[in-house]
Amino acid sequence: MPVKYHIHTAPVPNRFPTVIRSGVIAWEEGCLKCPKCVKRECVYGVYDKRGLDSRLMSDSLDSLCKDCFRCVQNCPNRLIHKALNPDYKNLGDHYWTPEIISKLWFQAETGRIPVSGAGYGGPFSGSGFDAMWTDMSEIVRPTRDGILGREYISTQVDLGRKHQALEFDTLGNLLSPPYPSVEIPIPIIFDILPWSPPRDRINHTLLRAAKKINTFSIITQEDWHPSLQRYLNHIMLYLTGDPEGFDKEILKKLRLIEIPDGLKVLEIQKWLKGINPEAVIAVRIPLNPQAKDRALELTQSGLEILHFMADEFGRDQGEAPLFIKDRIKEVHLHLVKNGFRDQITLLAGGGVAMAEDLAKLIICGADAVTVDIPLLVALECRVCRRCAEGIPCPVNIAQIYPPRGQARIRNLIAGWYNQLLEVMGAMGIREARRLRGEMGRAMFFEDLEREIFLPLHKRN
Amino acid sequence: MNKENLELNVAIFFCQQLDPDQDSNRRVIEKELGPGIKFFPLPCSGRIEPLHFLHAFESGADLVYLITCPVKSCRYQQGNVRAGKRIAFAQNLIREIGLDPERLILINIDPPLPKRIDLLTRELLEGAPVKGHSLLSRL
Ligand code: SF4
Repeated sequence: MPVKYHIHTAPVPNRFPTVIRSGVIAWEEGCLKCPKCVKRECVYGVYDKRGLDSRLMSDSLDSLCKDCFRCVQNCPNRLIHKALNPDYKNLGDHYWTPEIISKLWFQAETGRIPVSGAGYGGPFSGSGFDAMWTDMSEIVRPTRDGILGREYISTQVDLGRKHQALEFDTLGNLLSPPYPSVEIPIPIIFDILPWSPPRDRINHTLLRAAKKINTFSIITQEDWHPSLQRYLNHIMLYLTGDPEGFDKEILKKLRLIEIPDGLKVLEIQKWLKGINPEAVIAVRIPLNPQAKDRALELTQSGLEILHFMADEFGRDQGEAPLFIKDRIKEVHLHLVKNGFRDQITLLAGGGVAMAEDLAKLIICGADAVTVDIPLLVALECRVCRRCAEGIPCPVNIAQIYPPRGQARIRNLIAGWYNQLLEVMGAMGIREARRLRGEMGRAMFFEDLEREIFLPLHKRN
Repeated sequence: MNKENLELNVAIFFCQQLDPDQDSNRRVIEKELGPGIKFFPLPCSGRIEPLHFLHAFESGADLVYLITCPVKSCRYQQGNVRAGKRIAFAQNLIREIGLDPERLILINIDPPLPKRIDLLTRELLEGAPVKGHSLLSRL
């Protein structure tokens, strides 16, 4: 049995107090001085540990309170109230909701899976990834218990081109030379951040974390710095400028190189292969309605990895934008229909916010997924986008201490890894490679609506 | 805006009722004044404690404002009244430690609500007392 891949975690406290949903408003004036004050009886000791963080002026009351409302209910003079915390309302946006951000913070701090206790109280379905459910028919089989089960569930994936079939000569010698390939133990690659404060320390942090969990982080040509050389095994270099102007000695040592899609893509790939035949070349392609045709064309031309990018809300670039899962499904099925799917690696990214999105995107046809904003959130980002507007970052992410940031990202990915194991265990799938394109093991709300609810409406 | 006040560090505490779009509205000023201005929205102005003001001065603020909603429009009925009492208490403390209590300013805004926090801030900074840097921020 192969050595079980495992990410060790340890709690890493936040630098800044977390922002929680509600704030306590406790009047001191009018206090009856009861011998048994409700504040002293708080089971979490919230009022005893009270402190104020002067950087954000946030009261520890608001980060420690668990919303049990005992003090609010029991104060005889009604001096304690709870209100929505304005800072919480302002976290993120319609897609990167405060709930998602808080869950990511929790995972980065603890490395654990967030559980909601007394069942799920949210809506039945939503848009985007929420319009998809995965099969859980094997959830009761203890041996497949994802995290602690006895059967090993492998999340390893291969990046690179594959032969459709092996060819042998009459003597049995292999005629098809193997393509270079890179294996990663978890189908996650760190992507370029859509916005961030100056990235010097952030890049070091991402690369340290990529090294720790044995994956790759995409670094742009502009962000390249000789101090990053020690991470060469974990860098996927994105050549945005003139590739010939880049240090050839470095190119020779890289295992993954990415180039933008364009007219010269085949020419650049050939040039790079001339320098480093062992490197696997990826092409970064904006996701749009033409994606499936472009995918087929590039696959037929001999490319190795196609990396499709949606925007930060998971939308493609069409006039009526389609969500990433639907567009990737289309690309995957088009390649399957034409008999090319197994030859190419599909990466997909943009709008991947939680562990379940990762599993769902793989089910829709991606081999592996690229992640961006959650990594920044692990470093305590509020998704306020002030840095994109040139306003100082409220949590000073540019000054992150790389070992600390690395540990938080490691925790986040460990949590996602365990969630992926849970999803795969519940589906009865033991290989991330086999999860790819398993659409028959998932339900899509649009399909259910069309197949089940529409006929009911028609009957009436 | 008064040129000398542009150089000052200003902390503004305000009730969230004032401007539902405060997070986007205040960005123009944050961009203009950089780290010199800090906004702290509160669930209710009555939530403020004297300690908040002391911490703000300790962290280098030269002027500290507390903006409350208009009289009788507090959702918690007495929040703005209590905020007034706390500011008076904090001013005494500040005087006792040898700082200028006039650097701590209470603004009870007039109805109607909402008001844009960026416009309000410009108005405040326009009419701010010319005080120069506080003793603590010069340390
Ligand atoms: S907290 Fe805001 S300013 Fe800081 S990195 Fe995140 S989005 Fe940018």
